[in-house]
Amino acid sequence: MSNKLRIRAGQLGANFLTLGLSLLWLTPVFWTLIASLRPADDPLGRGNVWFGYTLTLANYWRAWSMAPFGEYYLNTISLVLMILGVQLVTVTIAAFAFTHYQFTGKKALFFFILLQMMIPTSALLAPNFSTISKLGLFDTLLAIGIPYFGSAFGTFLLRQAFLEVPRDLVDAGTIDGCSWWQLLWHIYLPPSFPTLIAFGLSSVIWHWNEFLWPLIVTNSTSSRPLTTGLVRFTQLGEIGAQWSLLTAATLLVVGPLFIIFLIFQRRFIQSFVHSGLK
Amino acid sequence: MTLRKLSALALLVLLLTGMLAACAPKEETGPVTIQIYYPVAVDAPIAALFNGYIEKFQEENPNITVEAVYSGGYGDVKTAIQTTVDGGGEPPALAVMLATDLYDLVNAGYIRSLDDYIAADEDGEAYMQDFIASFMENSYYDGKTWSIPFQRSAVLMYYNADLFAEAGLEPPDSWAAWGEAGQALTQKDGDEVTRWGIEFPSGWPYWLFQPLAIGNGQNIIGAGDAEVYFDDPKVIEAVQFYIDLSEKYGAMPAGVQSIWGQAPTDLASGQTAMIVHSSGSLNTLLEQADFEVGVMPLPGKAAGTYASVPGGGNLYLFDNIDQAKQDAAWKFIRFLSEPERAADFSIQSGYFASCKGAYETEAMKTYMAAHPQVAQARVALDVGGAEFSVQNLGEVRNIFHNYLQQAYNGELSPAEAMAAAQAEAETALEAFK
Amino acid sequence: MEKETARSKRDRYLPYLLVLPTLAFVLLFTVWPTLSAFYRSFFQQRLNIAKFRTPTFIGLGNYANIFSDPHFHRVLANTLRYIIGTVPISILLGFFFAMLVNRKVRNIGLARLAFFHTTILPMVSAATVWMFFFTPGYGLFNTVLAALGYAGPQNWTGSPDLALLAVMIVAIWKNAGYYMIFYLAGLQNLPTPLYEAAGLDGANWWQAIWHLTLPLLRRTTLFITTIAFIDAFRTIDHIFVLTSGGPSEASTVLLYYLWQKRFEQLDIGFSSALTVILILVLLVFTITNFRVSEKGEEDV
Repeated sequence: MSNKLRIRAGQLGANFLTLGLSLLWLTPVFWTLIASLRPADDPLGRGNVWFGYTLTLANYWRAWSMAPFGEYYLNTISLVLMILGVQLVTVTIAAFAFTHYQFTGKKALFFFILLQMMIPTSALLAPNFSTISKLGLFDTLLAIGIPYFGSAFGTFLLRQAFLEVPRDLVDAGTIDGCSWWQLLWHIYLPPSFPTLIAFGLSSVIWHWNEFLWPLIVTNSTSSRPLTTGLVRFTQLGEIGAQWSLLTAATLLVVGPLFIIFLIFQRRFIQSFVHSGLK
Repeated sequence: MTLRKLSALALLVLLLTGMLAACAPKEETGPVTIQIYYPVAVDAPIAALFNGYIEKFQEENPNITVEAVYSGGYGDVKTAIQTTVDGGGEPPALAVMLATDLYDLVNAGYIRSLDDYIAADEDGEAYMQDFIASFMENSYYDGKTWSIPFQRSAVLMYYNADLFAEAGLEPPDSWAAWGEAGQALTQKDGDEVTRWGIEFPSGWPYWLFQPLAIGNGQNIIGAGDAEVYFDDPKVIEAVQFYIDLSEKYGAMPAGVQSIWGQAPTDLASGQTAMIVHSSGSLNTLLEQADFEVGVMPLPGKAAGTYASVPGGGNLYLFDNIDQAKQDAAWKFIRFLSEPERAADFSIQSGYFASCKGAYETEAMKTYMAAHPQVAQARVALDVGGAEFSVQNLGEVRNIFHNYLQQAYNGELSPAEAMAAAQAEAETALEAFK
Repeated sequence: MEKETARSKRDRYLPYLLVLPTLAFVLLFTVWPTLSAFYRSFFQQRLNIAKFRTPTFIGLGNYANIFSDPHFHRVLANTLRYIIGTVPISILLGFFFAMLVNRKVRNIGLARLAFFHTTILPMVSAATVWMFFFTPGYGLFNTVLAALGYAGPQNWTGSPDLALLAVMIVAIWKNAGYYMIFYLAGLQNLPTPLYEAAGLDGANWWQAIWHLTLPLLRRTTLFITTIAFIDAFRTIDHIFVLTSGGPSEASTVLLYYLWQKRFEQLDIGFSSALTVILILVLLVFTITNFRVSEKGEEDV
């Protein structure tokens, strides 16, 4: 009985802790949302950083008019889809080859590809910048995306998933005379779907959020993504810090991804859980 | 069958028009498109203002199209251009960059000199003579003219004149008076400061620091392009004075103040009685503040002396682009620096007008009559020294920032910090002596 | 017959063909740049100084400059402090969060959301928001700390003692939720009967964590450590927004220093040598980590 009580008390304590920490973790986002609705002519002051004298959406219109967010959005979306599209193909076929076939140099090649996981592309931004300029890709969306077209992380993950596919199933498919892509499509891929989604979402988040590399290889509105656009607002130039404007701009950048995440969050977290990342 | 024919015909027409459209630009040689990089961050008013000028210019010159690229601050524009050239892209025709970037830009071979254009223009000589002399300090190198002043500013002190009046204080005219005024205007609630006497940003410290050194009779740079005086006793004393404002007078937050963006708002909302800032913030302050804004150069050490330093951006014309683009760009430079436009730019933005002629225009005279602060701000130009510009600027400036901030933060004594800065800067400048 | 051999021949080349795209991109954007940085690190080349614009061979000159450069030492120390300060804490927090939200309680999904939402936030946005929190005077972080009795300096991004801590706090806040997800995945894949047995035995909760959960999640921890470590090296976006590496380089880490040298000061040689050093550090760590994890496998 006392044991049960102790467990109950422990549970209750854990609930409060969870609640407290959640609120703490969410504070920045709450503040951002509230500050973005504060009128611009009501500057923040000591003890007065939340609601202003009224609520307004004016900051959003102003922020939207100050930078070509529409174009930035389009760029970010095209970029993310381009990278994801190419990655899904390269990663799937490579993982398939590494799982399904025995071939000379397999181990060496796999290790070679894993090098990309050990030396992240960001560390190589100086020499990669030269490569991009030699390829004549400077200031294009392709320049931002191309270094990520092959993904060691994705190949690695998907291979793990493919290895879990029961051998019997594969053998049965082979006997039925499936071609390699039929095997891949009908036997390997369906059970590996959660991994694919987990990888896909990670890829989208990572590239949606990337900042430094796009900052370096692009310079015009037509190829710059959202993150580099936002930075225009943080470098305040010669006028005062306009927190309401800045927070509105931040939410313009973050908002859509947030909403997509809210819609798919259960699926997202589930696919991580089932993806064999353990 | 007919449908098929029709669609074939349509396709043919489409193809033909497509080809014609593709050929069209080649037949005419007239139209030129030039790009200008302009450092504005969130300053939409300035971007909107500038877009207005571009429209007007395009009306007057229908065969020229100007594309403005607004990308961040001065540092961002410079880095963007460097990476563009370095990355194999075409540089813009024009850019507004720091006046002090001159040596780096010339050394890297990015910009071209303007002398042939000035010589070719009938009124070229008079045009150049009309610029305010202190704005031209960073335009000459190697016997050539490289840039035209445009978005120019100076370091100013802004103060809440109402608070001064309430406390029965006069605007300070010496370091000592400044510290004491700051002390008197600092307000505390127990241990907590509720209003500072002075806020003096130092996240990017050289520019706002220079008036302190100049006010003590010694600028941090000399006449040559590789001469620095970081460890001069007077410069060290100026560093000490910055520290004194917080340590001795308790009038200012301690250490490095990374509050560039926040300072004008703080003055406007009554969180501080004085700020040291760019003259470019004047209009924002006049709009935001509900008290009388006082404007003056920084007090010097000796009673009755004042000091400031000019800053801001010049127009640079780029090399390695088509002659036609360069010609168009020069036209645009001339257009931007016509006295009426310079006056309008100053009135709308708060920056100084770059030429004397602008101050003679009716618009400017009316505006200055309504806002005496504009004339007060201009006094700063008469007491200004040269802005920090040397060879290998990026590295030398980093060195100076690094040690100046260490002194501000009390990690090194002012003398130690400046001696170390001097030694490192000498090494970095060795190749240019 | 002929058809058969053609097919088997194709089958022999097929795996190579399938691996080729990935391999090509790895070659072009991982292997080649590594080699080219290595090569260029032996030359002096500075694009903004006329006489150093063309590369000159100087042997190990760049490395000598780097190791005698007091700034590099400071940067290296900052990098180490940043890694030691962020990696273990965010992993621990991630584990702790995972334990908290891996319970069958109503609305626990919301708590997961609260911890995880920082992951989908761009680092630049996170830093922008924190810029306000660190503002001296009215910034929320300072206000809360002051209410808790903190009387130290408020100027977080301008103080040499606090600037690095400030960027570390942002990184921890942003990353803990990401690591939580991996632990959550790990926890949910643990065999529950084991726990029931432990529960029936009346085993202490902490003992269960220590003796059951953590050992079973060993591989997860190793994996997270690897990505956390690499991320600590490569994510510097918040430094751009919050401190620009200052004051006096107090928050400049290796990659930021490299960026400054290469793209602000246009020093190709020096930055290439820095790249090589960065690669070596990363390789040493990840290979050690893989070794440790493989050794662990043998033990099991």
